[in-house]
Amino acid sequence: MGELFQEAILVSILAGMIRIATPILFAAIGELVTQRAGIWNMGVEGTMLMGAFTAYFIATATGSVWLAVLAAMIAGALVGLIIAFMTVTMRVDHFITGLGINLLVAGLTLYWFRMYIKGRAQPTFDGFDNVAIPGLSAIPFIGEILFDQRLLTYMAFAAVPAVWYLLYRTRWGLELRCLGENPKALDIKGLSVSARQYAAVLFGSVMTGLGGGFLMLGFSDRFLADITAGRGWLAIVALIAGNWMPRGVLAAVLVFALLESVATHVQVLGIDVPHQIFLALPYLASILLLMGLRRQSRQPQRLGIPYFR
Amino acid sequence: MTTILRTVNLTKRFPGVIANEDVNFDLQKGEIHCLFGENGAGKSTLSSCLFGFYQPEGGSLELNGEPVKFRSPRDAIHAGIGMVHQHFVLVPDFTVLENIVVGTHEHGWQLGLDEARKRVASLCREYEIDLEPDALVRDLAVGQQQWVEILKALYLGAKVLILDEPSAVLTPEESIRLFRIISHMKELGLSIILISHKMVEVMQSDRVTVLRKGKVVGTVCPDEVTPKELTRMMVGRDIELRVVRDRSNKEAAKEPVLVVGGLSYRDTRDNLMLDQVTLTIGRGEILGLAGVSGNGQKELFEVLSGIIVPGSGNVTLAGERIEGLPSRHYMDRGVGLVPDDRFREGLIPEFGIQENMILGWQRHDDYTQGPFLNHKQIGTIAEGLIDEFRIKAPSADTPVNHLSGGNAQKVILAREFVHSNKLLLANQPTRGLDLGVIEYVYKQIIAKRDEGYAVLLASEELEDLLNLSDRIAVISGGRITGVVDPENTSIEEIGLLMAGERKEAAE
Amino acid sequence: MTSIERDTPAPRPVTRIRIEPRVNRKPLWTFAMYLAATLFGLLLSALLVWTSGADVIKAFSALLNGAFGSQKAIIASLAKATPLILTGLATVVAFRAQVWSIGQEGQVYAGAMGAYTGYLLFAGLPPALFVSAIVLCGIIGGAVLGALAAILKDRFDVNEIISTVMMNYLIVFLLSWLIGGGPWTEVSTSVVYQQTGPIGEAAHLPALMGSGKLHLGFAFALVSALVCYVVLEKTPLGYEIRALGYNPVALAYRGTNIGRTIILVMILSGAVAGLAGVSEIFGTAHRLRSDTLFNLGYTGIIIGMIGGLRPLGTVAAGIVFGGLSSGALYMKLLAQVPASLVPAMEGILMLTFLCAGVAARYKIVRVKTDG
Repeated sequence: MGELFQEAILVSILAGMIRIATPILFAAIGELVTQRAGIWNMGVEGTMLMGAFTAYFIATATGSVWLAVLAAMIAGALVGLIIAFMTVTMRVDHFITGLGINLLVAGLTLYWFRMYIKGRAQPTFDGFDNVAIPGLSAIPFIGEILFDQRLLTYMAFAAVPAVWYLLYRTRWGLELRCLGENPKALDIKGLSVSARQYAAVLFGSVMTGLGGGFLMLGFSDRFLADITAGRGWLAIVALIAGNWMPRGVLAAVLVFALLESVATHVQVLGIDVPHQIFLALPYLASILLLMGLRRQSRQPQRLGIPYFR
Repeated sequence: MTTILRTVNLTKRFPGVIANEDVNFDLQKGEIHCLFGENGAGKSTLSSCLFGFYQPEGGSLELNGEPVKFRSPRDAIHAGIGMVHQHFVLVPDFTVLENIVVGTHEHGWQLGLDEARKRVASLCREYEIDLEPDALVRDLAVGQQQWVEILKALYLGAKVLILDEPSAVLTPEESIRLFRIISHMKELGLSIILISHKMVEVMQSDRVTVLRKGKVVGTVCPDEVTPKELTRMMVGRDIELRVVRDRSNKEAAKEPVLVVGGLSYRDTRDNLMLDQVTLTIGRGEILGLAGVSGNGQKELFEVLSGIIVPGSGNVTLAGERIEGLPSRHYMDRGVGLVPDDRFREGLIPEFGIQENMILGWQRHDDYTQGPFLNHKQIGTIAEGLIDEFRIKAPSADTPVNHLSGGNAQKVILAREFVHSNKLLLANQPTRGLDLGVIEYVYKQIIAKRDEGYAVLLASEELEDLLNLSDRIAVISGGRITGVVDPENTSIEEIGLLMAGERKEAAE
Repeated sequence: MTSIERDTPAPRPVTRIRIEPRVNRKPLWTFAMYLAATLFGLLLSALLVWTSGADVIKAFSALLNGAFGSQKAIIASLAKATPLILTGLATVVAFRAQVWSIGQEGQVYAGAMGAYTGYLLFAGLPPALFVSAIVLCGIIGGAVLGALAAILKDRFDVNEIISTVMMNYLIVFLLSWLIGGGPWTEVSTSVVYQQTGPIGEAAHLPALMGSGKLHLGFAFALVSALVCYVVLEKTPLGYEIRALGYNPVALAYRGTNIGRTIILVMILSGAVAGLAGVSEIFGTAHRLRSDTLFNLGYTGIIIGMIGGLRPLGTVAAGIVFGGLSSGALYMKLLAQVPASLVPAMEGILMLTFLCAGVAARYKIVRVKTDG
């Protein structure tokens, strides 16, 4: 194989990694805020799926991808509202709530999708184009990988330091982290635990909806029933594997994205093994990651425990 | 003297219980006012109402003569009331400063730690508190964590400070220091509400309001009454204050049941929780274990009942080495355990009494018939025990989370007594119980001692240990700092040992 | 006096909602809550149909008719209910222990694959023995996958929700390879259909009551329900499973090996879910393919939850929802409403039931405080 060809493939794999990382990163970095506030949201997959479907619906109905992105975020917020109501107000078990949300959204989106395409060919849309950053994208190798991406990809990566700043350098961040560690410490100062947890769930869900929207608009031109294919779950694994720290979460997301990117390049690479093995890699990796991780956890102390006064 | 805070006929109900009824209470400026009463008398509820954490259903609250309503702690904080909770409300992974600043809403969206650091430093100077603001709370001793709690209140500008059982987690020496600073605060013009059930502390306050079953029995000055009168006010009848001294048979005690040598244990965060613990308990002997909670008592009980595996050292029960075996083996060899957190560690709260009576013995021949549970047999045995231990419950099926703390504790005692025969491990068996039940629990433990059990008894009530134990071991920082004879020791000596001063040539 | 600026708003009357545990649970109240949840769920479902422009009455009556309108419809419904009851029971066993496994989906596949292995291995045995061997292999397949998640949890502290989700994906990829290019792929056709060849008649689960659709799997489902009930309520293991769900700390304190109990729970749960896979492939589809098994496990979670995590309730819920999925085709034909209305309804009902569960355990108090 020629050296040029090899470099081209490497660039393609790494650029693919950055793009594939985008939706998972949106979800993971959003849910980081939710989980640091003590809500163990297992409904990420469903929230993402709702974002993806909404984006598809609006993109095909209006032709505007940016309207579709906005709609995906609103859809995420609505799902988040249900999650927050169940976990914060009703204090239903967080795990069960998440499972219920996933099943509900899977059913709803499938139903709406079937209703929407009933009796006609599935409509498609034109997704995002790359936005090369002038100057930076001209840097050989690096530029092609990092600076010739979709606009939302830049935003997803910018969200990592932004959320770090929010969590560790602002009063809100201190309060959020306090919710995950000991919500009573806020309650006894007369601050509403519920309101803050609602806000944290909504933030995470909007980001996850956005991730779902990008998944739809950045990769594909049509909707599929299980389009998220476990990416919401990978976001949760990234949180655990990243030890609930922004940097670690980013690293874990990149690992998953790299594996998936490699899988999509298998045919180009001409490796003669069943392609299912490569498809399975991110899922296998997440189990192995979790197996190797015990006993160094900085999991928030009150994560997933409903707060009763 | 001016009245700073006053309640008029304050009433607070919880589902099924009246926690406070027509409580009239007043706090004068610059006084230490003690709220005195048994567990469940309504002291904590009253203070939570004063702090706006609970909203009373009836009656009113007056601040400086003006009627006020606290809808949340924020209103109370705004009015200059601060509270130090009995169970600290701290974030272990935050620094001292972050714990103080969180939720104070001073700098918009910014943290403002630098300015806060200066203010905390000046508060520390003013009240003579010694604390490193950037230390993680996790790394502080329990006594220091209490200062963080007090600073949190002072930082918010508290003029009235409510302290809920502040000395429960302190060594006697630390308590003395705490009370010195409390008097200092009083001199600086703060008014203090002190919740306590300890007679020594009550006697140091200016006035005492005694609560019983949610009602005020009376408000008195401590120098006008005797401790005995106060106790009568608290309990409502004359009570044999402590169990009469009744020593065991010294000869039998020479036959060792439990021998522990060089036991060490590190927890998952790699803290050394037990450090070379060596103990012996003889037949028919009660070994008291004194110490401030969190100094390794829990770990010691868990090692001795097979729940955790020690890093090193040995445990010999009736001549047989059993360290490292799972708890099942300890139970099978006749070790009974009364854990300190009874609803979490000793009971399945949603299960009925009879199902809890067989917890751990659900596979025992007495309770099974072939592969099935013999519910009829279990019911019969459970009803017998309910009678024998005078457990008050509507039926043997009543879920134990509907029982009072005392009755729940009796379920554990009944189960552990029936299924053990050599060693009884009792960690804080009377914590949070009424005096009447405490008396009962101690009598039962003495009865077991007389049957020949070896008993390890940990308690925060030093006087109880002095009265009941044949010997007292003192634990501090995971080490046994001394073993003393209750006949020839003093609270002061035990206090020093609890603070970590080692007694030379113990035993 | 140090005074601090605070952004306390001016006092104003507020009404807050607070949730307090009920001291005494009244059965009537509990029943009323679940009834309300059912009605509210149906109302939301009707709203869903209505907003998508279909005729609500027509859709629901077609759905009901298709489900339970005739003897034939009822038999078809029971056949549909069979795997759902089994995956529902798998959920009951795990969730009662508060082991939040959602591996039923994967265990159904593993059961089907185990059984298919048995089918290949034991061909030639006498019929009754052959079918028994196949069923046993299916049970083992599901149980092994269940045990794997339990071991990951016990030994490596891996959250069971995540490990089971990941294994659900992994097992589907494995099957996809086996039947789409791998050794089990149907031969003799030029196109790869992602399926095995037809299963020989000797290996079919025998039909019940002479009908075409209902087969031995339904009897398995009922027997499994009975077994689950007896195990949970009448045996020491059931005691341990329930205690594990309520308070694992106290259970461990008093000598029960938690890890071992979790493994047993997951073996039992996986075995029952595996049976669903066997029953679906060898009783209904008669060849192994992915799409016939899809979503049976996830639906089972809903069935188990709506069945109140009780074996008998699960049988009832399984029959109701089996009926709905069976009637959905009829509804699609008559009212032009997609069959996927049923999974949407299931999701809605699960959430309303969850809220009802809370409402039954707690009471919601309105606290009024005036400024």
